Amino acid sequence: MISSFLLFSLLVAAPAPAPAQGIVAIRVGRAESIASGTLEHAVILVEGNTITAIGEDLPIEPGIPILDRPDWVVTPGLVNCYSRLGLTSRAGNQFEPHVLASQELTEVNSALGQVLELGVTTLGLVPPGAGITGQAVAIRTKGSKPADLVLQDRAFLALSLETNSSSKKALRRGFEGVDDYQGKVDKERAKFDKKNDSKKSKSKSKDKDEDKDKDEFKPPTPDEKVKPFLDVREGRLSALVNIRKASDWLHLRDVISEEKDMRYHLRCPLSDDIDLYEVKDAIGELALHFVTTPTITQQVGTRRERNLPAELTTAGAKLVFVPASDSVRSHETYVKEVAYLVSKGLDAEAAYYGLTLGPATVLGVEDRVGSLEVGKHANLVLWNGDPFEPGTEIQAVMLEGAWVHEEDGATE
Amino acid sequence: MKQFKHTSLSALALFLGLAFAAPLPALAFDDEESAEEAEEEDGDKWFAVVDGDVFTGTGAVLRGATVLAKNGVIEEIGYDLYLPEGTQVLRVPGQRVYPGLVALSATSRISRGMFASRDEGEIDELARAEAEIEGTPESPETFDWLAAAYDPTLPGSSAPEDEEGAVGRRPVRMDAEDGYDPFNPYLILALATGITTAEQGDSALKLKRGSIDGVGMTEKYISSFAWSNSSPSSKESTRAKFKSASDYLREHRKWEERGDKEIPEPDKKGVDANALKVLRGETWARFSSNDRSELLGIARLAQQYKFRPVIYGAREGWTVADELGRAGAYIVVTPRSRADKDERYVRPGGSSIENAAKLHAAGATVTVVPASTSIDLSGIAGRDLLHLPIEAGFAVRGGMSEQAALEAITINPARIMGVDHRVGSLEVGKDCDLIVTDGDVLHYETFVQWAVVAGEIAYDKQEEIYFAHIRPRSDAVDPLEVVGEEPATEDEAPAEPDADDAEEGDDAEEGDDAEEGDDAEEGDDPEAGDDASGDDATGGR
Repeated sequence: MISSFLLFSLLVAAPAPAPAQGIVAIRVGRAESIASGTLEHAVILVEGNTITAIGEDLPIEPGIPILDRPDWVVTPGLVNCYSRLGLTSRAGNQFEPHVLASQELTEVNSALGQVLELGVTTLGLVPPGAGITGQAVAIRTKGSKPADLVLQDRAFLALSLETNSSSKKALRRGFEGVDDYQGKVDKERAKFDKKNDSKKSKSKSKDKDEDKDKDEFKPPTPDEKVKPFLDVREGRLSALVNIRKASDWLHLRDVISEEKDMRYHLRCPLSDDIDLYEVKDAIGELALHFVTTPTITQQVGTRRERNLPAELTTAGAKLVFVPASDSVRSHETYVKEVAYLVSKGLDAEAAYYGLTLGPATVLGVEDRVGSLEVGKHANLVLWNGDPFEPGTEIQAVMLEGAWVHEEDGATE
Repeated sequence: MKQFKHTSLSALALFLGLAFAAPLPALAFDDEESAEEAEEEDGDKWFAVVDGDVFTGTGAVLRGATVLAKNGVIEEIGYDLYLPEGTQVLRVPGQRVYPGLVALSATSRISRGMFASRDEGEIDELARAEAEIEGTPESPETFDWLAAAYDPTLPGSSAPEDEEGAVGRRPVRMDAEDGYDPFNPYLILALATGITTAEQGDSALKLKRGSIDGVGMTEKYISSFAWSNSSPSSKESTRAKFKSASDYLREHRKWEERGDKEIPEPDKKGVDANALKVLRGETWARFSSNDRSELLGIARLAQQYKFRPVIYGAREGWTVADELGRAGAYIVVTPRSRADKDERYVRPGGSSIENAAKLHAAGATVTVVPASTSIDLSGIAGRDLLHLPIEAGFAVRGGMSEQAALEAITINPARIMGVDHRVGSLEVGKDCDLIVTDGDVLHYETFVQWAVVAGEIAYDKQEEIYFAHIRPRSDAVDPLEVVGEEPATEDEAPAEPDADDAEEGDDAEEGDDAEEGDDAEEGDDPEAGDDASGDDATGGR
């Protein structure tokens, strides 16, 4: 409604006959906007690299090229928030919260182009290894040079928490470093204040302006390994915690019980015999983003199938899907696997969210990508039918206003 | 009654208010009263096992008695107890109530689960055990870190028991506690056996279900010492350790008595820290031996240096039972352990089914462990940790009293771990860790029907996939109810859980369904209860 009004006002305000370069209107049967639900007979106006209008049955000014596909469905570009596509792997536990995955971006890997064709327009790259591994970077999947790819550096702090003392100790160590640092800051501040007070009393008779010139208290710079945890504690940096079973979650809660302002998401790839249903309500209650694979699991000790993603959604968690394995091939099938979960009872809206805005939120780029909204990047995927129906295929992909992939004649 | 008191008080207040035309204080009074009451109801968690034959583990049997627990601690045991409103009641007519069993040297699978990685924590434990044998303390970091956390004399430290009360820093947990998986299948199997406390590494853990709070009870209560015929030097070094520790203590006492500050405190250098702890009564000394002459040697060493040894194995203990009894030994035996006598000797030897009985008669404190303390069907079925009570049953077969056999799997192992003030018997003030069985716990046909840990149902045979199909309990009567709550009618009762189930497609059998007690239809009917348990309660007879 609002967007249609916007379009209207736009037309009124700028009645120039020749529309600006790079404007295109896309008219499809249905748009999964994520932000405002499903739109029938949707029209999306793309100007430059952003969406400038979206709505149902919007009037389109004459002269604007129209891509008219009444049978097609458009979704936002898919987002995978946890990947190491095209990067070399590394084993072993580490404690390197300061490492940035963006430092590994030395080339535009061909794998990026391949997943772009599969509809993935945004990718979160994480540092390698296990333990407390460093900070992720959100990238667009196309660019002429590595620096062009970066959408958001320091997207989140990636770490894992397992049910064992060494893993818990590592995380505690991170926060204890901040404890020590904050203790030091307090001490320095006290010293600073004392010095100031004594100066003040001495120079009471002097001009008051002099006091104003005095420099502000500057806290000492934290160690590079302490800084990320300080940011996590104060809510400036979110954390993505990898867990593997239900008890890991309890132990995570145990370690971070004091961290009131910490923002975090969970990641747990699903496997048979996973017992996560034991804590689904607790996770749901906190409405956490839960990064997981589209997998049907089994009740422990039985062959009974469980649709854990659906259960988690019902409990209140926000699902975020990643492919079952971190390969291009797995990106080919993961939307279909999500569709299977939908056929087994997963809410379709939650499923779309988990493929787009959910992962974008985990990466902290939800203000730019992940949904079809005015002002956001024009990352679109055009499907020749319902994406969750068998046989539906991607016809075209738009990344920031440019067609980056299309089947023959799809955008003519 | 409470209700009556409340009404009368408010009535009084109202009267006063009217009489003095000062309604404000009267209202305040009223509010305070009800607030207090509400707080009491909200804050405390009551749980009661009702109508069972309570085997307290101290020798007493109270037929048809009630065990009442408040916030996980036993508040009262007896008859005609007042059950506060909101008490969760488990009605078990005709069934037996025992203290939860205590398992020594239990497999780490209990707390870590099947797919538990062999993480550093576990390796640490091994290293520590090795270090103990070598007589050197474990790696400095681990040592300092944990020692500082638990040493009550150090500032800022917190004992494991009062973690909640610890201020400032995050609660510190034991290594074993940090590896605790309260959802794993082996834990459920252990509870199904009746085990509610288990030794994991060198820690005592309470087998809580679905929670990791308050799981660790104690750790590092034992140090290992070597004493072996095949390695005479091991005997030599163990004796030297105790000698040096004993000498040091004597010197230290002398120095203290003299009270002369000029003279320096005796030097601890070269004194074995573990032996010193043993002689000070801070930890136990653990030996492992089956051989008669080794057992004699250990008994004499213990008497000489005045400590009570903990001896694992002791297969030939029956031949030197008197000596072990005199040494006040704690003996950890496996009654079904078998070995032939060494025919080179004339003296008695080899295994005996009477081992446990004779040791007990001689005054030793006997604890029973099964031949294998793992949970593993690829081994010898029927002799693993899941058959702990049956192993104790074999001690009875060897002539031990049933009471002593029960103690051998409850209070005695609890004593070794130093947690006998909290678990091992049903007594007021102890933790409400108990099991409800359909017969004599030592009988092989008996099933654990419920296991209660810290006043919460941790295992219910009918709710788990393992034994529900064997002699299923009659569901004519719901044994669970909540005091003061109307038994739910058919239509409204299943509203919440069933709606949930329908959405999931299948229901979680292992969820904490303990709260669903309000589905009771006729929970108050004692006759129906008797009928239900009639066919179950035959096991032990």
